[in-house]
Amino acid sequence: MAKQSPAQRLFTLTCCLLAAPKLGLSKQEIFNSVQAYVDSSSDAREKMFDRDKTILREMGVGLEVLDFDAYEETEASRYRISKGSFEWPAELILNSQKLQLLELAARAWNNRIMAPVAQSGLTRLKTLGVMPGSRELAIFTPRLIARHQSFDPLAKAISLQRSVSFMYRKAEGEASSRTVDPLKLRFLEGQWVLLASESGVLKNYLLRRIVSEVITLQPYESAVTGQQLASAEQELQEHVLSQTAVIQVMTDSEAWWHFSVSDAGVATMNYMDEALLAEDLMEFGSEVRVIEPASLAARVRLGFEKVVSSHA
Amino acid sequence: MPKQELDAEEQFNLALSIVGLVLRDGQHSVSELATHFGFSESTIRKAVLTIGDSEDVGNFRTHFYLDDELLEKGEVDFTQAAAELHEPPVLSQRQVAALATGLDYLASLPQFEASTELSELRLAIGGATPNGVARVSRTRELGLLTTLQQALLDGLAITCEYQNQLGERSKRTIDPLRIDFIADKHYLRGFCHKNQAIRSFRLDRMVSVEITDLAISESALTLPIPDEVFGEVSSETLVKISAQPEASEIFWNFPSVGQLSQVDDQFVGEIMVGSLKSLGRHVARYGGLVRVISPQSAVDSVRQFAESALSTPQSPGDED
Repeated sequence: MAKQSPAQRLFTLTCCLLAAPKLGLSKQEIFNSVQAYVDSSSDAREKMFDRDKTILREMGVGLEVLDFDAYEETEASRYRISKGSFEWPAELILNSQKLQLLELAARAWNNRIMAPVAQSGLTRLKTLGVMPGSRELAIFTPRLIARHQSFDPLAKAISLQRSVSFMYRKAEGEASSRTVDPLKLRFLEGQWVLLASESGVLKNYLLRRIVSEVITLQPYESAVTGQQLASAEQELQEHVLSQTAVIQVMTDSEAWWHFSVSDAGVATMNYMDEALLAEDLMEFGSEVRVIEPASLAARVRLGFEKVVSSHA
Repeated sequence: MPKQELDAEEQFNLALSIVGLVLRDGQHSVSELATHFGFSESTIRKAVLTIGDSEDVGNFRTHFYLDDELLEKGEVDFTQAAAELHEPPVLSQRQVAALATGLDYLASLPQFEASTELSELRLAIGGATPNGVARVSRTRELGLLTTLQQALLDGLAITCEYQNQLGERSKRTIDPLRIDFIADKHYLRGFCHKNQAIRSFRLDRMVSVEITDLAISESALTLPIPDEVFGEVSSETLVKISAQPEASEIFWNFPSVGQLSQVDDQFVGEIMVGSLKSLGRHVARYGGLVRVISPQSAVDSVRQFAESALSTPQSPGDED
């Protein structure tokens, strides 16, 4: 028989484990069943098996280790796959429109870590539905670009559930060292935001304000529930809704079209972060005037003053 | 379909997914599977052989009976033998996170705000994440998108009044090719009749849009659309800038020359700028976190932009 490729090895291993009795298979039984392990030396197959277990788990296959006499994996351990990891929720039905949206969502990623992960998820989901022939969505090309140096290590740390540390500088503040358990990356108002637990408190961090390398630390046991995550996201949304700015815009200027202002030339808007809003307003220079809040007006003025002094 | 080489994990993932589809719906041609999954036919064949070759050599049990003769004719069919595999595994945490973020991103686009399908998907994948709050009214943007979508679907050129970043207006005839959404801005990518080239047009700078009865030219449809949406450039100036880490994204917004260097806590590099007059707005937005080093004409341009902004009242308190 020809040498098995790594993909064939993983596939055969999965089939053997799924067909195993309830008590699972011993390591020796697995080594006797999968051709690639049979063909390898003792050391090589041990390493191969360790690597394969990691890959299966990372890919969402629930590999269980049963050992009735020890807490850790031993030679007497038995292995099986939890059937639940192959049971899709019955309510997840994908029509052509939904699959097209998923395709768009996966294609949006322009990041070397997240793009292949999204694509492989899409491949699985395509098993559940039929592909559409409609062109309506094909003309849109949304692109999620994540160029911050901190993005890749944070995305990896989230998937591996590992704590991280970095230096974080708030707007006009001193940089301070943060050690957090990263939970989720979101793209809000054109900015990547990390939701993380710092000493048990859920907080949001703008990736652009992470001013050092991200150092990956030890694994963490997440005590954060899905409900806590959802309420943290809800809180952020309520925070945005509670912050309102009013601006006056020069008639018929570029800002006028950009902010879709009323006939009176006034626009009211909600914002997540005053410093970020100030940046977006400063881009329009003299076309925009802040009516309120006063703190935003002062921030914009100070920003321009700094530009003048640094270009004197 | 482009030629592809998948890594082991993705080849494995594809084999698992093909099992689910064929066991559910029965025989498929290789080309149907290639179209459905978006891979080349040779990649599909490799994945099918992964399924057909799988066996428990210790117990002499094959997992699937693959019809080899059919495969030679370009058809895929197999049945379960000893295998207990019916479907691929459910999504991993990483896959859920990646797709959920992509779906959240779609939800921030005005054209999907009212999509029931998208809401249901977001609930099913990744849980109920609240929608982001749109900073400004999306009504006008949505109107433009609807018109452009119609032009694209009908294959017709548009005319529009376009205001560039210097505030200059011009009338354009454009063969629309695609609509990009990058960061938080929509761009029409199209063939500009005036410039006889592919150009990017920010939707928020389109003052008006009308669909013409001119068909989009065949030659425009074959032109490659570059990934970057840098503005129109007729003559460029090399500008040296430094930026604090929080503002280093400025280097992504211009074509850059050479590598960035780090001096203390600043990134230093050179960018190509089409119009020094427009540089001021890009630098000033960072409120002093970005500094132009050279040439002096660029330094002056940025200072003049900020001085002009300061010379107009910034808040009601500034008025006489």
